[in-house]
Amino acid sequence: MIFRRRRQEAEEDGEISITPMLDIVFILLIFFIVTTSFVKEPGIDPSRPTAETARKAERGNILVAVSARDRVWMNKRPVEMSDVRQLVEASLAENPDSSVVIVADEGASTGMVIDLMDRVGLAGVQNVSLAAEPVD
Amino acid sequence: MIEARRKRRVAEEADINITPLLDIVFILLIFFIVTTSFVKEFGVSMNRPAKAPVKEEEQSKLISVRITERSTVLVDSREVELGAVRANIEAGLASKPDAAVVVIADRAADAGLLVRVVDQARVAGAGSVSLAAPASSSE
Repeated sequence: MIFRRRRQEAEEDGEISITPMLDIVFILLIFFIVTTSFVKEPGIDPSRPTAETARKAERGNILVAVSARDRVWMNKRPVEMSDVRQLVEASLAENPDSSVVIVADEGASTGMVIDLMDRVGLAGVQNVSLAAEPVD
Repeated sequence: MIEARRKRRVAEEADINITPLLDIVFILLIFFIVTTSFVKEFGVSMNRPAKAPVKEEEQSKLISVRITERSTVLVDSREVELGAVRANIEAGLASKPDAAVVVIADRAADAGLLVRVVDQARVAGAGSVSLAAPASSSE
């Protein structure tokens, strides 16, 4: 009888309560679900001009980069200017309330940026901004 | 005796096995940890002007900033340094309150200069800055 009771006690001690762990895991899960934004990296990192009025681009999920040699990059590969509209429309279908950020190199030509803005506007995005480095 | 057994059975049935749930939750958690990117792009918002032609009385309420292909900046047809753009636009806004700033950039000018000029116009207090430029000939 005594032996049996001791065995039962040991079993109870070995059982760890996983409820607090589950709570933390759920909180982490909800945090990551809420904060995740599936930003599609353009694939290049051009040198951005500095600007005093640079603001954080809210919901800036669609990034279009222009290199110093006027090549357009989206989704980690170089794309043709004529494909930009279609690609932006596809990204917009995935996230309907996203805005577009054009990451143009300082040395890129203005004509490329304006063409991109027009094509993005045709794709249905009204909120376009040009990437800039904020001044600290 | 029968009642006691029934009670025990109910207690056993109420104990749901949560291990599969935990597995799924962990997989979801790992997925979101791996795919999350906290990249936040900073930028200057930019408007393209409406396609409709500007009326004459509105034209007098515009401050035009022209960027030439040789990267010189002209505010209201006067050539100024980049550092003086802000002061010139402020002076223009003082004489023409609520004037809109239109940046007319040459297609060959640097995009970096364009961003700096628009930024300076914003700092000067211009309510609306729009970007005008000839569209490419292919359109």
